[in-house]
Amino acid sequence: MDNRVKTLIRYEWKSFIRNKFQLLLLCITFGFGIYGIYYGNAEIEAQRETIRIVTALEESEFAQYRASFDNTNSSPDLEQIHDIAAQPSFAWFRHGYHAIIHPHDYASLAIGQRDLFRYYYRLTGMSLHYQLFENELANPVNLMAGNFDLSFVIIYLFPLIIIAFCYGLFSSEKENGTLPLLQIQTMSIQKITLIRLGFYFVIITGLALLISFLGLLYSGNVLAQGNLLAALVWLLAVLVYCSFWFGLLFLIIGLRKNSAFNAISAAGCWIFLLIIIPSVLNVLVTVKYPLNSSTLAGLTRRTGLENENDQEESREVIREFLAYRPDLEGTDSLIQNNLMPKAYAAYTTLKGMESQKVVDDYNEQVERRSKWTSKFHWLSPSVSLQEVFSQTTETDLATLVRFQNALSDFHGEITDFYFTRLFWDKPILEKDYDNLPQFSMPQTADKWRPILTSLAGVSLYTICLFSVGLIQMRRRIEGVK
Amino acid sequence: MSALLHIAKKEIRIAFRERLIVFLGIIIMVLLGISLFAGFVSYEQQKEIITKTENDKRQEWLNQGDKHPHIAAHYGTFAFKPKTVLSLFDFGLDAYTGTSVYLEAHNQHEFMFRPAQDHSSMIRFGELSSSLVLQVLLPLLIIFLSFSSYTKEKESGTLKLLMSQGVSANAITWGKILAYCIILLIMLMPFFVGLILIANATANNDSLPDVASRTALLITIYAIYLFLVITIAVWISMKSLTGRNALLTLLTFWTFFVILMPKTVANLSESFYPLPSMREFKAGIEESKLNGLDGQTPRSVRMAELETEYLEKYKVDSLSQLPFNFEGVSMQAGEDYGNMVYDHHYEGIRAIFSKQNRLGSIASIFNPFIATQHLSMSLSGTDLHTFNHFENEVEEYRRMLVRRMNNDMAENSKYGEFYEYAAGEELWEEIDGFYYTAPTFFFALRPYYLELLSLLAWVVFTIFLLKRSNKKLKPIHG
Repeated sequence: MDNRVKTLIRYEWKSFIRNKFQLLLLCITFGFGIYGIYYGNAEIEAQRETIRIVTALEESEFAQYRASFDNTNSSPDLEQIHDIAAQPSFAWFRHGYHAIIHPHDYASLAIGQRDLFRYYYRLTGMSLHYQLFENELANPVNLMAGNFDLSFVIIYLFPLIIIAFCYGLFSSEKENGTLPLLQIQTMSIQKITLIRLGFYFVIITGLALLISFLGLLYSGNVLAQGNLLAALVWLLAVLVYCSFWFGLLFLIIGLRKNSAFNAISAAGCWIFLLIIIPSVLNVLVTVKYPLNSSTLAGLTRRTGLENENDQEESREVIREFLAYRPDLEGTDSLIQNNLMPKAYAAYTTLKGMESQKVVDDYNEQVERRSKWTSKFHWLSPSVSLQEVFSQTTETDLATLVRFQNALSDFHGEITDFYFTRLFWDKPILEKDYDNLPQFSMPQTADKWRPILTSLAGVSLYTICLFSVGLIQMRRRIEGVK
Repeated sequence: MSALLHIAKKEIRIAFRERLIVFLGIIIMVLLGISLFAGFVSYEQQKEIITKTENDKRQEWLNQGDKHPHIAAHYGTFAFKPKTVLSLFDFGLDAYTGTSVYLEAHNQHEFMFRPAQDHSSMIRFGELSSSLVLQVLLPLLIIFLSFSSYTKEKESGTLKLLMSQGVSANAITWGKILAYCIILLIMLMPFFVGLILIANATANNDSLPDVASRTALLITIYAIYLFLVITIAVWISMKSLTGRNALLTLLTFWTFFVILMPKTVANLSESFYPLPSMREFKAGIEESKLNGLDGQTPRSVRMAELETEYLEKYKVDSLSQLPFNFEGVSMQAGEDYGNMVYDHHYEGIRAIFSKQNRLGSIASIFNPFIATQHLSMSLSGTDLHTFNHFENEVEEYRRMLVRRMNNDMAENSKYGEFYEYAAGEELWEEIDGFYYTAPTFFFALRPYYLELLSLLAWVVFTIFLLKRSNKKLKPIHG
């Protein structure tokens, strides 16, 4: 390294460690970062705990059913349990299966929309839409305040730190009268500014990477499958985001205005990218695509056959259902035996099919909304980054919607399991308990492409900012000469 | 006095000369315009949707055909949360509270569909509303406008000149404050006039009462809040040696008060007072219904007691001898017990909410931003108390509906029969539609006395600070 560069860095370091205020600022940021990691982990741990509880409840429910098969000494209570375990006409609406979207190990670093959506459902064979729309308990005040997770610290606080450290890099020399001293050096002022900016880049980005690294270590095994790539992408995103802000600061410094101007413009950019752009987009999308969730509300109404005693009506419903499910058609006994449960099963299934259209229609509107907004994410690298973080940790809207859509497949599996036995008048056997329906979360075809596209976009911004900054600074310096 | 006015005039002139400031001012005015427009459109859209859906559901209820009252109680109906007219000013919690609920016998359902669920994670950056502009963005403009109010005079030595001419520090300080107040007044006047006109023109048929006094107090609250920001900014400028320091200090304060503290307080409250999961909550209710609130009186025992009570009261030997259908009575008794159980458990949840939010109220003593945010939501009818009030009214309505159905069953059907009896439209018409009216002005403000006190205390405190510092002010340049 050039000796002059070394000297420059040595003196920058000296003035850096002498400035107690700046050191304090870094310490506070570090503290917030650690708190963010702790908070996110506490939140997600609470979700994991709930998942453990509901899984245990389900296991004990099914253990009870299973046990009822080898019970020789019977009591009325045990017999009732055995009926629920073995007779499909009870079982189909009693047996509850949990569909769970387990948090990604790094969900605690970017909670995203995960606190707003259900992450577990208990599904029975009853109409899916009775079971779908209940919310998790949450204090709306806190939902609005949002989560103090690591992604918040990086997206909101680090730019502010970058601004606080760098806005006066050039202008303060002018204001303190040291600029002429710098200008007579053999090294160009442009290069000096760049090196000093580079110095702070290493320190601040280093801090961001350090905190992230600690967060990644604390929240999961970095080397585990699915984690390594996520961890690398996270670190890359932090690097890209910090570079973007340094680029922006470089451009502003390059204008060679006074400190106050720099600080106001930089803070203005921060407000613009973090508050104005997203909030304007949010309100525009609300107005442009108004949604009417009350159509969904109607689906939760519990309705039944007009007259349960009317056998002909029951048969009618069953026949209508069988038209859709010819595979379940069997002997004539199908519409003679055990009519009521079959009629109910048929009725809720038919209703579920009707409802599914309304739900699909609604989801399509949500999709349209989210497509429209994602077209404008590029306007603000901060918004892009938030999306990148939540996509990486699988807490974004798309993942949660994918989970909700997977529920209807799983529900189909559950009803298949019971309906084949119900309509063919077969009991549930003990060995059937080895092949119960199981939920699996479908994986997305390409998780990384949108993430890398966004990061490439932000990188492009950064390159532009630096290039324009360089050109501008050169021009201004020539102007001075 | 004339010195004060002169200073004010000069400050205003300087402010309009700063192109960056004028540019930011224009942006804020444009944002206020957009937010008012978007808020209005969104209000109208939602109002139309809700009115239409309410009518549809009402018709469904009336035209459900002849059936047994208990089946009708299960058929039930829906309630939808109306948008209040002032939500066009402050969306408050509207994106995070549920919007509709199914009302039926036996079960209390929770509100479904939080509008924020239909957004990508970008929604967590907030939605542009007028209140956001006034609470978050305008203070920044004030900071940019006034951070150098004193430091500039100090740095250029004009402070010395002014004071040597006998102008008191008081006159300088208040002259500057007056100037900034006038600038804001000019900026905000069109917006507030627009707000008053729109709010009062559309206030008919709205669920929010006292719109005029609510708007008046809203404007007062924001005037106080912005006045506070101005005085604090001028004070810090007075205390700082350089403009750079003043700006940095003010921006740090802003970040801390507006961005960091509200989030931290909310998150801490969540950690201090954790909520149970919905599954646990529901399981608790089921358990209490099954085995009694004390865990020792199961349903069968409760029912047997009720039977004996009625048999003894009417001095008959069997339930079928009673002059009414006992099943209607037992159904209602079960309903009443269920309600009691629900109230017990739900009060537990509400208590956690209120403990969590209490922390926010306490924080508002130290942070005028939080105080203003809470008061603004409450006056706009978009806060948690108004939502709870709405929930209570809805539950009241549900209970009335179910009780009416059970009573009809007891009066008009025979013991042991079910499908033999069917009620018709006459009975359905006896149940009025559900129309919500939000709490009155005073009721809405009552839970927020700490916030009100906080704002007043801050005003007194900053005036005191300025007074003291004015006395000590020396025209030297650090």
